[in-house]
Amino acid sequence: MRPFEDYNPFVHLVYFVSCSAIVMFFLQPVTVVLSLLGALSLFFVRRRLAEGRSHLYSLALFLVMALLNPLFNHNGATVLLLINHNPITLEAVVYGIFAAAMLLAVLYWFRTFSQIMSSDKLLYLFGGVSPKLALILSMALRYVPLFAKQAKRVNDTQRAMGLYREENLIDNTRAGARVFSVMVTWGLENGIVTADSMSARGYGIGKRTQYTLYRFYRTDVLLLCTTLLLLSIVVVGGALGALDMQWYPTLRLPRTDALALVTYVAYALLSFLPTILEIGERARWNCLQSRI
Amino acid sequence: MMVIKSARLRTVLRWLIPFVLIPTAVIVGLLVLEQRQHLLVTLAVVLLSLLLFLCSFEKRAVGVRRQVIIAVMVALSVAGRFIPFFKPVTALTVITGAYLGGESGFLVGALAAVISNFYFGQGPWTPFQMLAWGLIGLFAGLLSQPLRRSRAAIIVYGVISGIVYSAVMDVWTVLSYDSGFTWSLYGAALLTALPHTALYAVSNFIFLWLCARPFGEKLERVKKKYGV
Repeated sequence: MRPFEDYNPFVHLVYFVSCSAIVMFFLQPVTVVLSLLGALSLFFVRRRLAEGRSHLYSLALFLVMALLNPLFNHNGATVLLLINHNPITLEAVVYGIFAAAMLLAVLYWFRTFSQIMSSDKLLYLFGGVSPKLALILSMALRYVPLFAKQAKRVNDTQRAMGLYREENLIDNTRAGARVFSVMVTWGLENGIVTADSMSARGYGIGKRTQYTLYRFYRTDVLLLCTTLLLLSIVVVGGALGALDMQWYPTLRLPRTDALALVTYVAYALLSFLPTILEIGERARWNCLQSRI
Repeated sequence: MMVIKSARLRTVLRWLIPFVLIPTAVIVGLLVLEQRQHLLVTLAVVLLSLLLFLCSFEKRAVGVRRQVIIAVMVALSVAGRFIPFFKPVTALTVITGAYLGGESGFLVGALAAVISNFYFGQGPWTPFQMLAWGLIGLFAGLLSQPLRRSRAAIIVYGVISGIVYSAVMDVWTVLSYDSGFTWSLYGAALLTALPHTALYAVSNFIFLWLCARPFGEKLERVKKKYGV
């Protein structure tokens, strides 16, 4: 067992794509709640309470989206109140809450995904299919901080030379344009030098190698197979109607027969799989530590 | 610019995507439409069309230099977002498309979306941004003659594409709210986004007004001097 982050990037890709796809595909209260809890628990197990303010932003987003649906969607039979002769219905309110929760779940899956999927992993995944795209991507990723630093340097120099006053919108804009223009020239020339240097060292001759090597270990295969197995149970269950849900005109509760229960269990296992791995790994670490 | 390495894969995808995969996605989407999965269907179609564009870029006798120039333009458009008052992605994509050709423009737009989202947050909206900005660059390449000739043309194109970009992203907003497309909601989204759109159009206008000519000349110069 390894922490979730150390698995092969391909396994991560399959896992996160399936998680965010099924939550978008089967919009149904039980699965949405399971997926949201899974995404949140993974995020907080990995990150604890870091980035506190960004969660407030997510919460605000959730509230706005939950409110918007009943304001614009007047389907549903149970009218709660009238605003400007437009009915606000219970069904639209409930649907709005779960649709917003679905989006929140997707948002948190993606957040953890982009934390785990660093640029070298991305290149490992797509470098084989498209070496050119991978090269452009990796160079651009390296250039962004370089350019930001250089832009600051140019800006400081210009300010020290007294080329513009502060707190003047027009001056600032023109100065920004000038700095940017300098950056374009510098960046292009710099890029050409880099390209020549690469050609001189034989870039493009022979196969491209990777900086980091990711191998497929037995645990990778195991996790991949588990993910795909659980995913297929959920998809088959969903195709057989276990996750069917009626929102309009009247709400009908989700099914609770045997097939539906099996699907829910598979869905829950899939959503909490990385959290279980993380917690298990931590427990093992603590256990081994105390024995030494 | 040949983006996908294997020639067989390229040909297969080029035929498979428009004639099999996209129709399948749409038909499956229509069949399950009562469950309101527009978002997922749209996402699939957007991803497939991105792939289609990448497959159709043919091999061209270009070396490392063009790739590096594209990487520089991508990085500049992302780094430029850190300078206050500048949102240069659209403008730089237009300039690249007009001066280096549509394929480079497409790549700069699409990759700038991916890379800036490494800083500003990835999400299901990334493919929409990629396609929107990529197409802005591609069409700039197709219109490169008039765009290069007059500054007014490139400014008008930049402002219009900024507005179209906002409109396309509002489609995503609407789809994500309700998983269903209603015109009233779309109208409301357009209306609430109006200040944003206006700011975006103005910033594009200023940027292209100040920079279209000089940047174009710089790209021309590099093209001539180094034979990109």
